[in-house]
Amino acid sequence: MSFKEISHTADVKIQARAPTLESLFSETCNALMQVMYGTSRKGQIKREIVVTSDDTESLLLEFLSEVLFVSEVEGIVFSDARVRINGPNLQAEMEGEPFNKDRHAQGTEVKGISYSGLSIRQDANGYMVDILFDV
Amino acid sequence: MLQGITRISTLEWEVPIGFVPGMRVPGRFFLSESLGKILEPGAVQQLANVATLPGIIKNSLAMPDIHWGYGFPIGGVAAFDLTEGVISPGGVGFDINCGVRLLATPLAQKDVAGRKDLIENLFHAVPTGVGAKSAQKVTGHVLDQMMIKGARWAVEAGFGKRNDLVRCEEGGFMKDADPKEVSSKAKQRGIPQGGTLGSGNHFLELQVVREIYDEVAAKAFGLLKDQVCCMIHCGSRGLGHQTCTDHIKILEAATKKYQIKLPDRQLACAPISSREGKAYFGAMAASANYAWANRQLITHTTRNVLAKMFSIDYGEMPLVYDVAHNVAKFEEHVVNGKRERVCVHRKGATRSFGSYAPDIPSELSQIGQPVIIPGSMGTSSFVLRGTLTAMERTFGSTCHGAGRVMSRTQAKKKFSGRDVMASLALRGILVKAPNEAAIADEAPEVYKPSEEVVRVVHDAGLSLLVARLDPLGVIKG
Repeated sequence: MSFKEISHTADVKIQARAPTLESLFSETCNALMQVMYGTSRKGQIKREIVVTSDDTESLLLEFLSEVLFVSEVEGIVFSDARVRINGPNLQAEMEGEPFNKDRHAQGTEVKGISYSGLSIRQDANGYMVDILFDV
Repeated sequence: MLQGITRISTLEWEVPIGFVPGMRVPGRFFLSESLGKILEPGAVQQLANVATLPGIIKNSLAMPDIHWGYGFPIGGVAAFDLTEGVISPGGVGFDINCGVRLLATPLAQKDVAGRKDLIENLFHAVPTGVGAKSAQKVTGHVLDQMMIKGARWAVEAGFGKRNDLVRCEEGGFMKDADPKEVSSKAKQRGIPQGGTLGSGNHFLELQVVREIYDEVAAKAFGLLKDQVCCMIHCGSRGLGHQTCTDHIKILEAATKKYQIKLPDRQLACAPISSREGKAYFGAMAASANYAWANRQLITHTTRNVLAKMFSIDYGEMPLVYDVAHNVAKFEEHVVNGKRERVCVHRKGATRSFGSYAPDIPSELSQIGQPVIIPGSMGTSSFVLRGTLTAMERTFGSTCHGAGRVMSRTQAKKKFSGRDVMASLALRGILVKAPNEAAIADEAPEVYKPSEEVVRVVHDAGLSLLVARLDPLGVIKG
């Protein structure tokens, strides 16, 4: 599993790879948290996120948008997402720590997750996605 | 210039129908040859994608700060017919009514020289950066008022002067706002963030009027050479971001329902007259109003800091003007020789209404609307005035800023925040930010030269130069 930031002039474009669809979703969530907060470490806070969508791309977009919402409103920096996908349904067990200005102010706010150029691809090595965060 | 693009005149280029399948009108953009060398193919593709949307009028347009965004290109402008046309959050963006305002002061550069504490005090007074919370106690009722009355709510609550509203696009609020269409999630995000700057390219900058190009207009706008001003750039915060996210989901379904074929899902849209289209417009206008209230609250905080430090009166710091640069609006324009009400989307573009257009302060009606174009950190910003040429050519629009040329990943590799701060300090420009990475991200070199972008809009007549302002100090989000 891995993700990297690839060059995009205005925003943040992430390319993530993972052996399974579920781990690909976890990886993009980690990328989102890193862009927003810099580093994070394992925490005691647990949350469950449940979203539903018709297709895989919008399921990913819905999931990350919900992570963004919960993170901002509840002040949680997530360090781990255990994702389960069953057809159109996603359920994720999230773990994180409280936002701390001294340690988590190294990133930049993500305004939204974009559909532009969003496509999840599968090959012999697993799954890959390019996804754009508006910052 | 990129292949497939034809030249119309020195500064105007056309993306012909057929550049991407399904284009209904040609694309047009304004660019100099030197800016053409850094034009990204992705931005032109996005300009062409917009031309496929139903009901688009005349052209899919882009200003000289065109660059690769999502949905519309940044710098994109398009107007839609009210019967046949659509409305799309992809033409507005996540940060609804991201905009910029300029505040004048009675101070001269010598009054603030060496006052490092000014930037420190502003940085402590205005909450900035990730996770910043407002000092305002915003209740559900107050939030509704912010969404309905925008800057007018702020002024009535004691956070400004009546005349601030006169010097604000739309008088500081869009009257078609419908807070019912703003989700409870968006409202939850909006409550703690009133009066916060945000992060990324948002800033509050102290500037000095270095050069006046148009004495009459500058005087009418309230600008004098050597005068210290304050520029504020921010938007609708999490409330607007969530509204965009929520309504893209609704409009994705609507796109299927109304059988609209799209080249990019981020262009999800619905007919302007449909229930979904109206719902988005109402929510977008409510978010735009929140942004105007937000900029007004930051203005109030800034005035209080300056008043206290320099023993000047709150009333001596009038608003020059406030412009929105991510918004969709109903406006009257001449289409095929007739005045028509159309829906204009501006995504990273500024309204540039010429003389005697509606919604210009009466004392400025002969001169045209003030247009405020921020530079990048460390480079000049400009005040221009709207023109009749813009009314004829670009639905009354001009550029919104310098426009990035370098990605954040490249910027972080190439620059360190500390070095950028040191080199700006050598030029007498102080920078405060929550972290050094935020400064490297926004290094002056990552943007197109603002002078060149502004020269193009001036030479193309889309807005005319009034004054140049140079930075003295900046707080970054």
